Amino acid sequence: MMQKQILVRAEDSQDILHKAVERMQDLGAEFCDAKSQTVRSIGISSMDGELKQLTRKSTGGVCLRAWAGGRWGYGTVTSFDAEAVMKAAEDAVRNASGERKSDLALEPSAIRKHMPAQVRIHPDSVGLDEKIQAALDLDRAQAIDDRIANRMGSYAEEIKENALVNSAGSDLSWEEVRTLCRAMSIAFDGNSMERYYEGPDSTFGYETVKDADLEGIGRKTAEEALKTLSAKRAPSGSLTVISDPMVSGLLAHEAMGHASEGDEITKKRSFLTGAIGTRVASDIITMYDNGTVPGAHGSVPFDDEGTPSSCTKIIDRGIYSGYMHSLETASQLGFRPTGNGRAENFGKRTWVRMTNTYFGPGDWDKDELIADTKHGIICDKMVNGMEDPVGGCFEAKCLRGFEIENGEIKGMLRSFTLTGKSVEILSSADALTKEVVLDGGMCGKGIEDWVRVSSGGPHMRARMIVGGGQ
Amino acid sequence: MIYPDDRAIKAMEKYDQAEVYVSRAVVNTVYIDGSKISNIETKTDEGMMFRMSEGRRMGKSSVSLDSPGAAASCLEMADSVLRFSPENAAFKGYAQPGRAKIAAPDVWDRKAENITPEELRELAKCVIENCRVSIPRAQIRVSCIESRTVNGNGVDVGHRSTLVYGHFTSMADIDHPGEGMETFHGTHLTLDPVLIGRNLARKAEAAATCREFRGSEKLSMILPPSELGDMLISSVGSAVNGENRKYGRSLWKDSLGEKVASDCITMVDDPTVSAPLSCAFDDEGVPAERRPIIENGILRGFLRDTFCGDSTGNGMRRSSVEPQGAYDRTPTIKPLNLTVKPGSKNAEDIVAQTEKGILVEKFAWPEADELTGRFGLNVRCGYIIRNGEIAGVVNNALLMGNMLDAVANVEAVGNDPAQMGVVTVPTMSFSGTELVGN
Repeated sequence: MMQKQILVRAEDSQDILHKAVERMQDLGAEFCDAKSQTVRSIGISSMDGELKQLTRKSTGGVCLRAWAGGRWGYGTVTSFDAEAVMKAAEDAVRNASGERKSDLALEPSAIRKHMPAQVRIHPDSVGLDEKIQAALDLDRAQAIDDRIANRMGSYAEEIKENALVNSAGSDLSWEEVRTLCRAMSIAFDGNSMERYYEGPDSTFGYETVKDADLEGIGRKTAEEALKTLSAKRAPSGSLTVISDPMVSGLLAHEAMGHASEGDEITKKRSFLTGAIGTRVASDIITMYDNGTVPGAHGSVPFDDEGTPSSCTKIIDRGIYSGYMHSLETASQLGFRPTGNGRAENFGKRTWVRMTNTYFGPGDWDKDELIADTKHGIICDKMVNGMEDPVGGCFEAKCLRGFEIENGEIKGMLRSFTLTGKSVEILSSADALTKEVVLDGGMCGKGIEDWVRVSSGGPHMRARMIVGGGQ
Repeated sequence: MIYPDDRAIKAMEKYDQAEVYVSRAVVNTVYIDGSKISNIETKTDEGMMFRMSEGRRMGKSSVSLDSPGAAASCLEMADSVLRFSPENAAFKGYAQPGRAKIAAPDVWDRKAENITPEELRELAKCVIENCRVSIPRAQIRVSCIESRTVNGNGVDVGHRSTLVYGHFTSMADIDHPGEGMETFHGTHLTLDPVLIGRNLARKAEAAATCREFRGSEKLSMILPPSELGDMLISSVGSAVNGENRKYGRSLWKDSLGEKVASDCITMVDDPTVSAPLSCAFDDEGVPAERRPIIENGILRGFLRDTFCGDSTGNGMRRSSVEPQGAYDRTPTIKPLNLTVKPGSKNAEDIVAQTEKGILVEKFAWPEADELTGRFGLNVRCGYIIRNGEIAGVVNNALLMGNMLDAVANVEAVGNDPAQMGVVTVPTMSFSGTELVGN
């Protein structure tokens, strides 16, 4: 395994971070931390056989947080200059000042650790020409039919180097590597327009791309987009639905995950406030948020407060069993921090966010599950979803699906939406397949603050409300 | 005013074409959690993007200006990209210099520029005090952004604006509360905390009375600006995007000069008024102007940037809500201020003329499919209308339809336009949608 020397700039900034923490303490911060971050990324996209985007980016900056009187003050700056960082430290303490909100004390751990990313092929060791070729290969493999109106192949990598110092004595640095490639085909037959996408992602290195069958992924994407042109409108109403791992993941993430974020509990904005120990799902359902899954898109060694990642069991055989926490919500509710205090980047707010959220496996085979379903639909890929912590509902948009009649797959269905009350849906779940698959993506909280996560699960059979767009 | 590093200006001479974009933002944000002020942030953000071409090969890189060597590093990275870049026949070159076609819009507010964290805290407190229900989550963000685009063709234009953005949620203090939401988009500190507080309370109380919708029915859909804005931008905004037309992804790609909407629909892209992205030049340095998109239902134009060719001045890096990282974004085609010409009826008149419909107060997330216009959206709070009157408040139902069809089935256009990000829309009513419940 390659062990890359890491954190050139973050390591360089460690002295400044220590000084900034001292400055915030001198100015009256009860607790404070200083985090520096550099993010290097490459984005490549090819469209209809030609390179469309090729970009290298590097952003960096420092975030200072001061805790005083039960509230946070933030000062952030895109600079590693000592004077600018000290000014941001002063801003942070000033922003935390004012009338006391509470006497809450945080309980951070003191950790000293320096961790490179665990990758086999670091993206830095691979030439740009090879990455360009990967995007072009994904694009060109889709050119199988004139009805493919638009083809796209893309490659993206992100190398995030973090350093964090806090007033409890933590001194950390760690690296996160993410690689991703995608093919997307848009098919048009003069009347209908449909799309399909495919491609791997991970927190492993370039092996994510190297080990993938790019030709096969591109061709499959085009073939499936063409097939979707003949899909019909989905039926509407309350139906038996077999969610695929992607849509099961949306259920885990949107229906229960957001509502299990500790800050939603402290504000009583979640329908799961006070739910620990109560039944929220059938007894085949167990659900986790686990930031330690090797290679998964949402895995991080530490959260953005320096707490090590962990596995939180949210539902245990149908019984609600726990919330995810930041330093603040853990103290408010009397739990230990779970490593879920996350931020989009150094310039954004840190609050409770998911990592990899998924349902555990069952004991059915997929074919067996379909054969056992008299009338219903099975989903194939998701578009996006929306949480409703207050109302306890969820919304999931599916890219397409198939009708099931008397245990057999029938016609293809074009995009449709699933909704319903989360507890009712999970309580109606009566079968899960053996294989759990995670799918990477981005999660916003409310309207912004996008962090990298994954979600997933097995195929799951349950009752949901289905509506097909016209 | 912000200006690119001398090394970047000089580096432009080495290439057939080159462009440097710099932006600097100062952002102050106050967050409310559980009806209390939880965080205040002060953020400064500065960076640059360098783009260049040799023939039809292109290079591009962006950096935050976080250290003295950052600009030089940006130039090196862009050059390394150019060396590996294959030719792209679609590339037509960066902007050519041009005279402004409109007067610089009024997008700078000295009060917003000088706001202090203490004043921001007071503004948030005023919202809290005027809301008789709880505010579980909210934020008010007041920003200043300056930017400059310089290219080797002679373009040298600057822009500065202030942005005021607010997003608020509310919740009644009962067992099954539902949620209200308010947003504010603007360039000036005209956010009215008293009105927002009162609206939040009204919406939360309405959401608390919702009953689950059962069954299914075809009905008219009435959308207020808060829900219509994103629905239009994701559907019509996407259909009139020149790049989507170029790559065959717009269902209106062959419809120029043809009827795509109801006669009562006229839309212009209007950057002349105070709106978050209004400007005299876009972020590539192309003059912007007031541009008809749909006139009395006829499609009159597509929006383009320089990559698409024959730019209409819609190549944008800036966001209407978050100035951080403008330098980090490649220009993409965006409306500057897509404006629907208002009608004569107020929202109450529109309800009164509706035989069978739903007035949606809040969707889970208002959005139509960018490719097809299709939507199937969870209604979090909606008023059922029977014979011109509100007959009940419902939730937990799916409203289904197609926005590209809906704009051709408009029943009424309201007289209450509101700014929602990059669109200005009134309340509108559409026929031909379907509501499905449990």
